[in-house]
Amino acid sequence: MFNTKQTLVAASVAILFSGSALAMSGNSDSKAGDKIDGKYAANYAEIIKKADGKYLDKAVIEAILGADETHGRNGLVGKLDPANPYSFEVDDSIDGGNHGNAQCKIPAAFTEVHESAAKHYHDDSSFVANGFGTPIAEAALSKWNITVDGDGKGLPSADVGMTIEEGGKVYVQFCGMCHGDFGEGAKGYLALAVDQNLVTSSFTDPAPMKAVGNYWPYATTIFDYIRRTMPFWTPNASFIGDAGYLGMTGYILQSNYIKIDDEGNELDDETFFNSEMLMKMNKYMPNQGNFFCDHRPVIHNERCMTNCPDAQVGGNGKGDATDYREARKLPDGTPQYNVPQRMHEDPPGVGHSGM
Amino acid sequence: MTDNIVDKVAVQTEDSRNQGRRAFLKGSAAVAGGVMFTSAANAAGGAGFDPKKAVAPYAGKAEITDVLQDGAARKSLGFGVRKYPYGMPSPFEKEVQRRTLEWLTPDSMASITMSPIHQLNGIITPNGLHFERYHGGVPTINPDDHRLVIHGLVERPLIFTMDDLKRFPSISRIHFIECPANGALEWKGVQLNSVQWTHGMMSCVEYTGVRLSDLLKEAGIKPEGKWIIPEGADASGMSRSVPVELAMDDCFVAYAQNGEALRREQGYPIRLVVPGCEANMWVKYLRRIMVHDVPIQHREETSKYTELMPDGTAQRFSWYMEANSVITYPSPDFKMQGPGKYYIRGLAWSGRGKVANVDISIDGGKNWKEAHFTSVVLDKAWTRFEMEWEWDGSEAFLMSRVTDETGYVQPPMPQMRNLEGTNNVYHRTAMVTWRVHGWDQGKNGGMIENVQY
Repeated sequence: MFNTKQTLVAASVAILFSGSALAMSGNSDSKAGDKIDGKYAANYAEIIKKADGKYLDKAVIEAILGADETHGRNGLVGKLDPANPYSFEVDDSIDGGNHGNAQCKIPAAFTEVHESAAKHYHDDSSFVANGFGTPIAEAALSKWNITVDGDGKGLPSADVGMTIEEGGKVYVQFCGMCHGDFGEGAKGYLALAVDQNLVTSSFTDPAPMKAVGNYWPYATTIFDYIRRTMPFWTPNASFIGDAGYLGMTGYILQSNYIKIDDEGNELDDETFFNSEMLMKMNKYMPNQGNFFCDHRPVIHNERCMTNCPDAQVGGNGKGDATDYREARKLPDGTPQYNVPQRMHEDPPGVGHSGM
Repeated sequence: MTDNIVDKVAVQTEDSRNQGRRAFLKGSAAVAGGVMFTSAANAAGGAGFDPKKAVAPYAGKAEITDVLQDGAARKSLGFGVRKYPYGMPSPFEKEVQRRTLEWLTPDSMASITMSPIHQLNGIITPNGLHFERYHGGVPTINPDDHRLVIHGLVERPLIFTMDDLKRFPSISRIHFIECPANGALEWKGVQLNSVQWTHGMMSCVEYTGVRLSDLLKEAGIKPEGKWIIPEGADASGMSRSVPVELAMDDCFVAYAQNGEALRREQGYPIRLVVPGCEANMWVKYLRRIMVHDVPIQHREETSKYTELMPDGTAQRFSWYMEANSVITYPSPDFKMQGPGKYYIRGLAWSGRGKVANVDISIDGGKNWKEAHFTSVVLDKAWTRFEMEWEWDGSEAFLMSRVTDETGYVQPPMPQMRNLEGTNNVYHRTAMVTWRVHGWDQGKNGGMIENVQY
């Protein structure tokens, strides 16, 4: 996943810039002692603030990261470490949880957010409560607190559960009519167990369906989500109960062929599926390592005003504004929306299953 | 950047001022740049307002001579007070509606409607036209029964009634709210010839409520509490993981929207406001805030609202909405009325602060001119821009491009597509292009078409 991020940044930073309106001279030659890990200016927050928050300005980036190819704006690729204000950082596995519950952060370069948080919280030593609320015991929240986190905190105890076979029966009774008896999807509702390749080679490739096995990074999310919201018409149903929701979770995981150990064994119908088994499988979710923290913006364009480079003009980089794509037309020639579905080429609802 | 609400009001650049003046000064030989404007206008030497010259463009147009008749409204009384204790728009505005695309989702309880942004003015969306997005239908909650709990990594778990919440210091803020799927239909190409469909999954309203930092401090949030887990009281139990730095920055719990209570569609009686960030984080029907040490990896931050890249990896924890802009007039919802003067207008916004500049191109991105702002410029709010355009009737490609105060410049679509592919679903925030068909004696009907590069 690191590679993707590098590719993305590399592909984007070099595009189009041709000088800056901001004069930041004097900041770019910080001594080694002024730099954190010898890489970027320790006073980055000050530099950004001095530039009125324009942290994407070429001169600001240079003042923080240096001007040369290795450490300058072109060299952002080499700056992908969590301490770097421009790494828009990935910081996975920092909590010591049993599978590495990913944590992303507000980038350091968003200095005004950190400053505001300090003002309203970290530095607010004088705050004393207004006393407007009423204290409540955690125990009183047992019905409301339905959160299960990525580390499995909040799961039912290990004696709650059922066999995969029993779980399958519950699933077929309450879920199958919309998601298919084997998770293949039905009536336009989302499929839960289709193993489509997420890699696309062409912009016109159909959107891959993102199901549990090929996309979801955590197994805990399934239990949290279906207990919280399913069945759609009667969510958090007491007639299903924690045991039933665990059984359904197990059945969905089995339908997605998720491993239960390093040897590659899978759930069999007789397995008693409980929170312990769920947490065992949580680290074998195949797509878990393929997520990275949002690091936008990766596009650092200059504000070009006249005779802009072809890459910013129409025609897919060829500079010809009349080379455009139109909406697909209906047979009578009128440009219309959603032609594939109107022509019954695509089933309804699937084209944008992300919704 | 986040706390000063009105820093600059309707800032015009020198460029746009000159542009506005041009019409007035057209034909005047005395013009030698903007500096001359004041003296030229005030000069006694015949350069004052000339009414005959002012109406010159009407010369030769046929005059209406039929005597105007009084209409029904002039001949009878209208309706009296209290006919509508809660006022409604004129029946002639009945086409101004939020609309949905029935094929988008399998059912209407977990779907979305778009605001008619081409029919809105200014920067405030009326409550009845605010876009809707539900994950489990709209509950009707009695505020007397509603409670907000703050618990988890806090010294003193607390429960609040609505009355409790309204005792806290209040703040009012105007912010845009945008579904990250706004524009999602256009990743693979053009689908829809209307701004309502391409950009309507957003609105901008004034919220009033209580600072989230005040509530979290009230409960004594502990230093190990790094994440805030808000949760709704509706069927979807909507939830996201919000980092504490963001929660303490400018988030608040809103009970009012545009001066009245929130609408049910927007979270009555309370919702979380996370300025500048994805709308799904703005949890509606807020009933619980858990302070936690790790993110919960909820379905709406793993399976959904993550962005698939061409190589199969995906971005997650996407919070802020990038700067974005769109021309709302002329747009595919309108028809050109013949060559002549037009005022191109539209909306610009940024999740990372204020809009700094908006530029408009009429040649598909080759050359740009700066527009001026016709609204206040607020932090993380819609900003209205406008630019005079003399249309000669030939084919034109209109684009708007925003630059925000961080220096981010809105990219063209090919650049974003090359980086992120077309199966991303969310955060399609690149520029769009409206193709104005050549007038050609009106043969093309003044058509304005959504095209893509």
